[in-house]
Amino acid sequence: MKHLIRNTALATTLLLGTGIAHAEWPTDRPIELIVAFAPGGGTDVMNRTLAPYIEEELGAKITILNRPGASGEIAYTALTEARPDGYTASSLNTPGYLTMQMDRKVRFDPKKLCPVARIVEDPGSFIVQAGSEFNSLKDLVEYAKANPGAVTVGTTGLGTDEHLAMLQLEKSAGIDLTAVTFNGANEARTALLGGHVMMIGINVGEFVGSDHSAFKNLGQFAEQRSVIAPDLPTAKEQGFDVLVSSERGIAMGCDVPADIRTKFSDAVHKALDNPEFQEKAKQQSLALSYLSADDWNKEMPVRAERLGAIWKLAKEQQ
Amino acid sequence: MDFINLLALGFGEALTPTNLGFCLVGALLGTLIGVLPGIGPTATIAVLLPITFYLPPLAGLIMLAGIYYGAQYGGSTTAILVNLPGEASSVVTAIDGYKMAQKGRAGSALAVAALGSFFAGTVATFGIALAGPTLSSFALSFGPAEYVSLMLFGLLAATVLARGPVLKAIGMILLGLLLGMVGIDAGSGEERLTFSAMELFDGIDFVVIAIGLFGFAEIIENLENHEARGVLVSKLSRLWPTREDFRRAWPAVLRGTGVGTFLGVLPGGGATLASFCAYSFEKKISRHPEEFGEGAVEGVAGPEAANNAGAQSSFIPLLTLGIPSNNMMAMMLSAFIIHGITPGPTVLATQPEIFWGLVASMWIGNLMLVVINLPMIGVWVKLLTVPYRLLYPAILLFCCVGVYSINNRIFDVVLAAGFGLLGYAFRKAKCEAGPLLLGFVLGPLLETNIRRAMTISHGDPSVFYERPISLVLLIATVGMLVLMVLPSFRRTREEAFQEEEA
Amino acid sequence: MSAPRKAGSTGDRPDFLTAALFVGFGALGLWAGRDLTLGTVSAMGPGYLPRVVCWLLIVVGAAVGGLGLFRDREDIARPRPWPVIVILAAVIGFAFVAEYFGFVAGSVWLLLVGSVADRDSRLREVLLLTAGLTAFGALVFIVGLGVQMPIWPF
Repeated sequence: MKHLIRNTALATTLLLGTGIAHAEWPTDRPIELIVAFAPGGGTDVMNRTLAPYIEEELGAKITILNRPGASGEIAYTALTEARPDGYTASSLNTPGYLTMQMDRKVRFDPKKLCPVARIVEDPGSFIVQAGSEFNSLKDLVEYAKANPGAVTVGTTGLGTDEHLAMLQLEKSAGIDLTAVTFNGANEARTALLGGHVMMIGINVGEFVGSDHSAFKNLGQFAEQRSVIAPDLPTAKEQGFDVLVSSERGIAMGCDVPADIRTKFSDAVHKALDNPEFQEKAKQQSLALSYLSADDWNKEMPVRAERLGAIWKLAKEQQ
Repeated sequence: MDFINLLALGFGEALTPTNLGFCLVGALLGTLIGVLPGIGPTATIAVLLPITFYLPPLAGLIMLAGIYYGAQYGGSTTAILVNLPGEASSVVTAIDGYKMAQKGRAGSALAVAALGSFFAGTVATFGIALAGPTLSSFALSFGPAEYVSLMLFGLLAATVLARGPVLKAIGMILLGLLLGMVGIDAGSGEERLTFSAMELFDGIDFVVIAIGLFGFAEIIENLENHEARGVLVSKLSRLWPTREDFRRAWPAVLRGTGVGTFLGVLPGGGATLASFCAYSFEKKISRHPEEFGEGAVEGVAGPEAANNAGAQSSFIPLLTLGIPSNNMMAMMLSAFIIHGITPGPTVLATQPEIFWGLVASMWIGNLMLVVINLPMIGVWVKLLTVPYRLLYPAILLFCCVGVYSINNRIFDVVLAAGFGLLGYAFRKAKCEAGPLLLGFVLGPLLETNIRRAMTISHGDPSVFYERPISLVLLIATVGMLVLMVLPSFRRTREEAFQEEEA
Repeated sequence: MSAPRKAGSTGDRPDFLTAALFVGFGALGLWAGRDLTLGTVSAMGPGYLPRVVCWLLIVVGAAVGGLGLFRDREDIARPRPWPVIVILAAVIGFAFVAEYFGFVAGSVWLLLVGSVADRDSRLREVLLLTAGLTAFGALVFIVGLGVQMPIWPF
């Protein structure tokens, strides 16, 4: 029913549309940038901050449309169903985008979704209370070895980056931790402050960007230290094979003509290099890490494979 | 004294013309969106966030905070006038407030709500200034076990909200709990009760249920009863509360303020719990419990004070610890971060003008609201004399736009229509929707915390009675249960029920 | 609104309806959640508490219905389907029309169709009201409060 109506409506608009001579992309009408999360969240604020600089590069108008829900699936579905004319783009976040495909049959075709640019790569990390006896992942692992199951780790749900990081650490160090699920990072932080859990997972950007005087960070889970936390040792440096980060970027439908996608991608790249934007990004502790559409497309399967291996681990444990 | 100096610093900041102006804009905008059902402060603040890029940090924060507590004021207006609670905390206000409006005493109800809210806002603001850090450590001592006990207490107290048999109220709470479980379960990633609808993965939004059960169902019922319809059943009586109203309202305001200030600090359902705990409390200690649900002025004064005090004190964890206690506060946190300020103990020490300026502006904003709202009461009450055939299309439009704007999708509007049908059936079955909404709000908190508590204790239930706060709450819950089954208590309920039927 | 009562017979009809609703939703919940993992007390699965709640709901529903058998007879206020159907159609229609043809079209649909529900409506009033509210809504909601919806169909 819904599809029928949608299609009829679409057909009507198409019919109407052909009558009018189109101006050249992107000046015909505003580009709709779908944000897959609620207004005010990290992804939303980042896209709203960036949008004016992309507008400047393209000489076009961008309107932000929030379509939150189902960790992004609703937005991705809307993007793949949109007309492939280059006037619809969407935010794209991993690991959610990748893990949802492992977990369930998604309602959109991932092959129809093409990355445009990666903007941020924010590594995961583990934090404890500032007064904790643990100063590094090593201390924590030693304690967990002596007391199996005693270390409680706050995560924001199955298959989130913190949960995957926890599983990797368990495997790499041969220890047993207890996961406690919270609805969102803020609840987890409250529980850590109150001493109801011993440790929580948090993205480095979130950690650096907030008042963290009450916390201590044990290590970041990146290949190399992130630009926003150059003094924080990685898990690898400490001898543990934990590698988890969340990425934020922009995607378009693959049916959109390649030259439009390239133009859009270039505009995003130039916008990211704008010193004014960089200043704002610094204020918001965004871990900027640009990847072009091609590079991100190459990187994604590698990441998916790594996540898939951990994911299998999680399923076995259940 | 240090405190006086800091407060003076705060007022100095808040009283600059720019900040005063943005405080007024925020309060007015908040009142507007509060009055419009469905459009919540969270959505509005989200839209305004980018604008605050261009404002000085304090001015932006003052405006956003103004929207938040302004919406609390405005929300009670719609609840009283047309029985449409825009958010969980005004569900309770609608119970007696709307009855008062039907009896021609809308003016009294609105005035008591405004004055009670102002008083509570003042006390809670000073509470933040004086005891913010202490209160936040109280909030932190609430772990999963304490939450479970608190929620059990709250759910039991919710049975008092409805008139009629306790069993029906319990059933409605259970149904609310069930609706609260819809969505993807965070702990396991499994879809629960979603019927494979992707739109239900994140659960049902409160506004969808409230607009359906209250808004749409009320309109349908009013159109059906052609004779006794519209809001105004009896003639409009005086605009202003009587001396008797004041005498009965002020102790309720005091108690509500106390309850609200403490519970508002708790992350999660604090402010919601506050308003209906205050209602249950008033009904329990009243010498005329049978008047509750029939337009008791205490039933408006207590919860309104509690909800406004709670709204103010929910700033405490954010300002003192940097932890937002609800979605609204998470949005405020984004606003801070956009300006490169990270709220928390450090900011308290290094940028006192931000913290104290905001606190002072909240008091000023509350004062502005009361000054704006009292003269408005006349206008609002006039609105009730508009013929219903002209009033209901407007309500319908506001409700629809409000529901659509939550997630910008058709699905929610259709779902709300479904809840409208359900609400209509419940009215035919003489079941009241208040307890359902509270079960819906508190249910997820109860469930996640039970599961958390059991995971942390590895399945040992002793956590619930070995921790002092949890133990006290459990004893209170059992005490209330005993009171409910005691014959004397049951008689008063029965009496109330029969009177209502007679 | 006092429901009609007949002396002599028993059976509280609103209670029966309540019982049907409670038991129905309980059963629906059990059915919809039939595949959910139960888990153990120390690691409750997603199906644990829903099942508990559904069974409680069925028990409470049965109790309400059972007690209603012995109460004095009371009838359900007679339903009139017209307002129900019209209001629901207006609301649902609004969502679809507004999504594809913009706020103005949706609002006009909602207000015109919605007004049919009331037999007191007068055409002139309805037209004026529709024009006024649509303009007000477009200004306040879309332009002012930034609700993400196009105003016009194009």
